[in-house]
Amino acid sequence: MSSTITKLNAPLTQTFDSQSSDESQITPTPTNNALTQQLTGFDTLTSALEYAAEGTTGYNFYDARGNLRSVLAYSTLRQNARILAQRLSSFDLPRGERVAIIADTSPEFIELFFACRYAGLVPFAMPVPVNLGSHAIYVQQLRGMLLSSQASLALANVDFFNFLSEAAEETAGLKWIGTPGQLSELPAKDIEFQKNHPDETAYLQFTSGSTRTPRGVVITERALMCNLEGIVCNGLELKPTDRSASWLPFYHDMGLVGLVLAPMIGQISVDYLATRDFAVRPLQWLRLISRNRCTVAFSQPFGLKLCTLRVRESDLKDLDLSCWRAAGIGAEMIRPETLKSFADKFASAGFDENAFLPCYGLAESTLAVTFSKIGQGSKSLQVDSKTLIDKRTAVRVQAEGRKFNEFVNCGQPLPGHTVKIVDEEGQQLSEFMVGSVLVQGDSIMTGYYNNPEETNKALKPGNWLDTGDIGFLFEGDLYITGRRTDVIIVNGRNIRAQDIEELAEQQAEVRSREASAFGINDADGATTIVLVIECRLASVTERQSLTSRLQQLVYMAFGVNCVVELVPPHTLPRTSSGKLSRFAARQGYIQRTNLTDQLSATAESGDR
Amino acid sequence: MTASDYDETMQLLCDRLGSLVSSDTPITPESNLIGQLAIDSIKLLNLIMEIEDTFDISVPINALADVQTVRDLVDLIHKIKSA
Repeated sequence: MSSTITKLNAPLTQTFDSQSSDESQITPTPTNNALTQQLTGFDTLTSALEYAAEGTTGYNFYDARGNLRSVLAYSTLRQNARILAQRLSSFDLPRGERVAIIADTSPEFIELFFACRYAGLVPFAMPVPVNLGSHAIYVQQLRGMLLSSQASLALANVDFFNFLSEAAEETAGLKWIGTPGQLSELPAKDIEFQKNHPDETAYLQFTSGSTRTPRGVVITERALMCNLEGIVCNGLELKPTDRSASWLPFYHDMGLVGLVLAPMIGQISVDYLATRDFAVRPLQWLRLISRNRCTVAFSQPFGLKLCTLRVRESDLKDLDLSCWRAAGIGAEMIRPETLKSFADKFASAGFDENAFLPCYGLAESTLAVTFSKIGQGSKSLQVDSKTLIDKRTAVRVQAEGRKFNEFVNCGQPLPGHTVKIVDEEGQQLSEFMVGSVLVQGDSIMTGYYNNPEETNKALKPGNWLDTGDIGFLFEGDLYITGRRTDVIIVNGRNIRAQDIEELAEQQAEVRSREASAFGINDADGATTIVLVIECRLASVTERQSLTSRLQQLVYMAFGVNCVVELVPPHTLPRTSSGKLSRFAARQGYIQRTNLTDQLSATAESGDR
Repeated sequence: MTASDYDETMQLLCDRLGSLVSSDTPITPESNLIGQLAIDSIKLLNLIMEIEDTFDISVPINALADVQTVRDLVDLIHKIKSA
């Protein structure tokens, strides 16, 4: 037996122990709360939890087979988090020190997250390893986050602890690493918790899988509470009868802010399915919604696509999705066809397409920026493709037979937020003109932690956040038409081109600034990553070795396949300042490979 | 699980992968799932589901980080089944 497998011995045993435990005693938290719903007036996360804890609602965790595994009522969460906070206090850390937590879908993660806030510490969620063979690269990614955040403590469940301890080996500044179980053995310090201030940092959110330059978004309590209030009051118009179901990972902004913190702020119950269990059996999510009569559930378009692909006719008759009033869609470009196929497929199971709730947001604005009007379904606009390319203007198609692009209406900004569209010089554009999407408002991050360079790139004068997305406004509603070439979205994952190029440049054969990565879309909207390398190798074997090594590395780091093209030196186009232009590199690739209809897609991404 | 069970699992998996992979690459225990067989995330999810259903096991997500070859995967299944 290989040594890698032997190493996994402990985690596996643990996993199976928990699965064989007795579950007959537990019941999920109710939908109807004994407490009056209160959506506004909380100034910090812990003050909101103090209120929610007076009720009977909370979080419920289900396994891959749909059995309830554990329940964490808000009242229990408050109690456990406060005890854990006393244990954390025994480290005598100054307020605001960072605590890293590997965020699997578990009650322990949520308890630790709130424990940090009670103790005045700043938690952040680190991802779980999801890619085949990703061990080494995943450990590097963890190390990158630990270093960039200058974390003092780091925690992981037993299943992931070996990765964390490897990552911690060369990380200076870490005072302690352990499992939640080990933390529970530490003495609790009997202290009075200091009240958190709205200007204090609530948490960090990492947005990139880069090992060298991870970016930790800094979100204050004020920004968080502002965004949460916007989500529950304006976006969802939350009611006391609501209940959520979610498979979104706790280490993503939509999973954490949207489906862990927002339900707590509104004192509603949530039913969780681990992301991995959803990915393998997507229908379990719909079964949870149907069985527990859930009303609010979000997904990326890719999640809906998985459900549509994997459902069998025989599954449909057992589902009743008529309870689902807010089917939030966000986190990547929304294509009308994805929504239409889902609605067609699940109409017979009672799904109402008016439940579709397209929205737009990003971690740098806590989570949400715009919401479409609830209960009205997804609206879209068909615009003339040629005018979009030639004039960068959205004009509604008038005549039959004209080639068009269809864009989904993502709605209006939350109260207290403004969206504007600007051109390359930063000049504001009028309605229908396509340009960069900028946001201003109380939900905007303070910056990237300890990273003034990236912060200055993202935050423009007047505290306008440059979202990196491209779109236009019409009647105050935002339409996203694409992203700039620096982000590639594949199967719902946002991947920064820079992170892929960085992986390539770590190879001995690749010099810095001789790699360019970008996405190419096929007619169905599926994206393929292309990595073009300027390569001096002559031997076929060496070239082949580099190509397959790069494909493997990209897969391990990001879980996606990519096309690697080796080109002679000086092939990649550079700007006057010597920087590589991904846009021009993409054009060059398209010409070399004769993908001429791809050229129309460039208008959609609207980049430079 | 016995040695013959192990060989059976290996055979089953190689056959299944053969139908998943489009190329004519022969599948051996040493075949690299990512580099040689190009198992993408969707194919992987399907494969995991089939493995779980066939062997009536649950494959923990943390274990996949150490799986690169067909043999790694068979070792893992074997390990879980014998637990």
